[in-house]
Amino acid sequence: MFERSYRQRLEVDLARWQVEGVIMPAIGEALRSSLPPAAGGINISVVVGIVGGLLIAAAFLAFVAANWTEIARVLRFAILIAGIAAAYGIGAGFARAGRPVLADLAAGVGAIIFGAAIALVGQMYHLSDDFAAGMLLWAAGALAAAVLTGSRGALAVALAAGSLWTGARVVDGADMPHLPFVPFWMLAAVLALAWNSRVAAHLVTLAALAWWCTAATGRSHDLFIIAEGAAFLFGAGLLLSHARWDSPRSFGVILSSYGAFALATMAAAFAADTSWEFHIASVTPPGWAVGCGFAGSILAFTAAAVGRQPGSIFAAISIALVVVVVDGWVQPKAGEPWLAYALELAAMLCLVVSGMLDGARPRAVAGWLGLAGVIASVTWAVKGSLLRRSIFLAAAGAVAIALAMLLGRLLPKESRP
Amino acid sequence: MMNFAAAFDRVPKFVLFGAAGLIQIGLIGLMVTDRAEILRAGRDVTLLTRPLDPRDFLRGDYVVLGYDISSVPAGALKDTPSAGWGTPVFVKLAPSRDGLYEAVSVHPAPVDVTSPEVLIRGRVISGANCGKELRTFCGTLQVRYGIESYFVPQGEGRKLEIARNQRKLTVVAAVAPTGRAAIKRLLIDGEPVYDEPWF
Repeated sequence: MFERSYRQRLEVDLARWQVEGVIMPAIGEALRSSLPPAAGGINISVVVGIVGGLLIAAAFLAFVAANWTEIARVLRFAILIAGIAAAYGIGAGFARAGRPVLADLAAGVGAIIFGAAIALVGQMYHLSDDFAAGMLLWAAGALAAAVLTGSRGALAVALAAGSLWTGARVVDGADMPHLPFVPFWMLAAVLALAWNSRVAAHLVTLAALAWWCTAATGRSHDLFIIAEGAAFLFGAGLLLSHARWDSPRSFGVILSSYGAFALATMAAAFAADTSWEFHIASVTPPGWAVGCGFAGSILAFTAAAVGRQPGSIFAAISIALVVVVVDGWVQPKAGEPWLAYALELAAMLCLVVSGMLDGARPRAVAGWLGLAGVIASVTWAVKGSLLRRSIFLAAAGAVAIALAMLLGRLLPKESRP
Repeated sequence: MMNFAAAFDRVPKFVLFGAAGLIQIGLIGLMVTDRAEILRAGRDVTLLTRPLDPRDFLRGDYVVLGYDISSVPAGALKDTPSAGWGTPVFVKLAPSRDGLYEAVSVHPAPVDVTSPEVLIRGRVISGANCGKELRTFCGTLQVRYGIESYFVPQGEGRKLEIARNQRKLTVVAAVAPTGRAAIKRLLIDGEPVYDEPWF
């Protein structure tokens, strides 16, 4: 809450209010002193240190990849073990000295060197059978480091390795979808919640999106699966954002923002994909994915009921409309899917309204981008009659203007633009 | 929960960072000892390599190895239920007159073997998806044993690649009693060219 931008804005407002006589100087000072001390920022030396740490970690990876034989294998191995020990030793030193960013970085570097050591052992013993198992080992070790040291860097390494693990399993065709990733992700999510860290929440959310994308890889229902996943993440995020505690609330806001962007992207993609009617007609989307989309809608309506905020209701409607389109419930047997287009436009409009009412800017931006994407897709989709598309767009525009006029009359004067 | 968090916060940082490093070093140590144990205690089997699809030749700095035992007839396993890609199988190997081991039979679970036969564990990467539901074994199985890559110093892979394609490259693999295998030695025309130490 007390980020740098907030402090800067508060300072400007306090100065103005004092000049205008709205508040007494003493009150301004009291407000300033009521703020908790600013968190240690990242200065230039720390940035250079971060770059240096990442370069050293990359050097270890390249060192292994080079398969250099001038140094004996045992010595190479010892160098990597020493690298791990040094990284965590330096990290402990930084943590003790009250330099959390550098301690975090050192643990992250240690986690990367751990991955390099796994690769070296793989080279030493010519392991080839299970790339995914190596990634799982890397992810587990890095996650353990994240738990113990509180390092966001180690968590990032763990989630990246975990995503490679799940991707490798899906490419192998062994697991569709790869459910063992879910408990791993849950552990990472619990960490993000326990830390109440926005960075960790972003990382965990990105990993969730990556999982949905890999679950869709190579499937005939790729867009369906991702869209249902977006609906699920959005709905779950909305519900979490109404939690009583700050940590899940903050996590939920981030999860719902990513979910909103993913949902908007999928709405535009569905409008543009001229082959999706074929997908619906030929094969039913996987039941687990449909269930997730349905669950996302229920979670969103639950969030609307719990939060009693009009914005959440519009968000829930938006999710439900996209799910209805994605599941093919409004798909005509022949001809162009005008009703589906209309529902996608309505869904994106609801998303914009939802963001505006809740003051959730990312959600509103996602809605605007989704609207632009759907309109562009409907306009330029290489299918059917352009004249009919023109009539559809004109009719949709007329409905929107009529709605705007009606709202203009219903809303109180002071709230009109 | 709060008590746990408070207790966790009281643990000195060097202990936590040290534990993180030790866990990772321990995991690496487990990997090494596991593989070294296979090399130490495993039975030696000599396998003939075979040419592979040119697109799979030398990727980066390792040579892709294929074996005659990589493709085996399913035998009694044909049309029986499989667990799909990666289904573990046990292949019974027996030496031929020239001392090279060949596949004798495939089994879904370990079976007793008598010396000089050896049971090697593999995973089916192709041929486990036949039948209406794509869940039964096909007639021929492509099996991977975890000994299909050999890492070499930069620029040295070509020699092995040529020998492999001329069917002059043989591999001595150590096979543990559990069936797990590790590459122990590489020979060209019967002459050792690479010998793998335990560590």
